[in-house]
Amino acid sequence: MMTRDEALRWLAGIFEEDPAGIAPETLREDIPTWDSLGVLTLMAELDQKCGILLTEQELKSMARIDDILQVMNARGQLAA
Amino acid sequence: MPATSTQPARVCGIVSCVPTKVFDNVADASAFEKEEVEKVVRMAGVKTRHVADATICASDLCLAAARELLQKVDWAPDTIDAVIMVTQSPDYLLPSTSCLIHRDLGLRTGCATFDVGLGCSGYPYGLWLASMMLQSPGFRRVLVLHGETPARFADHGDRAVALLFGDAGSATALETGEDTSSARWWFDLSTDGTGWSDLIIRGGGFRDRFPTEKSDCFVKMNGPNIFNFTIKRVPAMVEDTLQAAGFSKDQVDYYIFHQSNRFIMRHLAKKTGLPEARIPLTLDTFGSAGGPSIPLTITRGQLERPESGPLWLLLLGYGVGLSWGSALIQLCPSAFLGHVEIDGPVVSSAGTTQPAAG
Repeated sequence: MMTRDEALRWLAGIFEEDPAGIAPETLREDIPTWDSLGVLTLMAELDQKCGILLTEQELKSMARIDDILQVMNARGQLAA
Repeated sequence: MPATSTQPARVCGIVSCVPTKVFDNVADASAFEKEEVEKVVRMAGVKTRHVADATICASDLCLAAARELLQKVDWAPDTIDAVIMVTQSPDYLLPSTSCLIHRDLGLRTGCATFDVGLGCSGYPYGLWLASMMLQSPGFRRVLVLHGETPARFADHGDRAVALLFGDAGSATALETGEDTSSARWWFDLSTDGTGWSDLIIRGGGFRDRFPTEKSDCFVKMNGPNIFNFTIKRVPAMVEDTLQAAGFSKDQVDYYIFHQSNRFIMRHLAKKTGLPEARIPLTLDTFGSAGGPSIPLTITRGQLERPESGPLWLLLLGYGVGLSWGSALIQLCPSAFLGHVEIDGPVVSSAGTTQPAAG
């Protein structure tokens, strides 16, 4: 289980972004590497680190970083 | 289906075949920016691909492989009892591609031939069918052919598939095992039809014979769904097969994966706890050739073969259908492994119809 800050740093690493530039409100369209290949990387990392398999619906609805955090929270992988 | 086993057949030989034409994903011009191409190459691991031109079909690749194989294992055409052609790239909607092969190999009329319409999972299914047939009276020699030309049904503007696919064919000669004391072959064969549309060519079949959308003539892949399917099903298939056979992971000499995508294969290896050294890769040179990438990896994956004693191979096919299957088989030191390339059609009916572009 990760804290919110740890999760943000971890997501920054996945998308090869400066951690300072990643916040819950950061939009997908502002992260160039959050493309179709980035989605696969995210899926693999979520599976590897948290045992989370994203559903098609969850993937379609992800428009900002907070959407990922919400999925992690809903699956009990984000510390309060 | 729970894992099942058969009397072991004897693999007399396997020959793979690819088109001579090589497409270099980075050096050769494509519809994508160079930076974008390099990123895909880094992730998927496909540097070059052997691709068929508009004159080469899966039948040509399989026929060339079969001719080489029959010569090397010294099988006379009239000694072959059955041909199983596994393909989703047939020459025609009818007749079966196996009938064209039957004619061009000069096989006898008493030889049973049929096609099996499976893709990425097709090789384990083909071996299972063949080993089952070899347990029937009257069947002593079966030829399993598996060929696909996925590069020909890829939309060259679709990044999800355009840089991945190569084309390949194969021929595998199986004979009744004479040593009944050797260990059985194990198979685990499964299907999830709810994912039927995750990898699909919508047009050209009888549901939509003449599609108005040209893109419906090409393959469409739902990458995330295929990824989820793979990481959910393949590790379980490995565990189930090994458990049923009473094997530990160390007792398998090589895990021969359908060469789907290096990123996915590495993730599967990590998730399943398999050593990468036992997972040969041919994807970098040949691209993802669908199901035939399994026999292609057996022949071209630089397997170290002991002079005495067999290799145990766990073959893992998974994809379109959704369908997945494994085969735990023995490869004896005497089994011939070979590879050929062709630069044009070899099936004698080629040229009797106008080849379609692409």
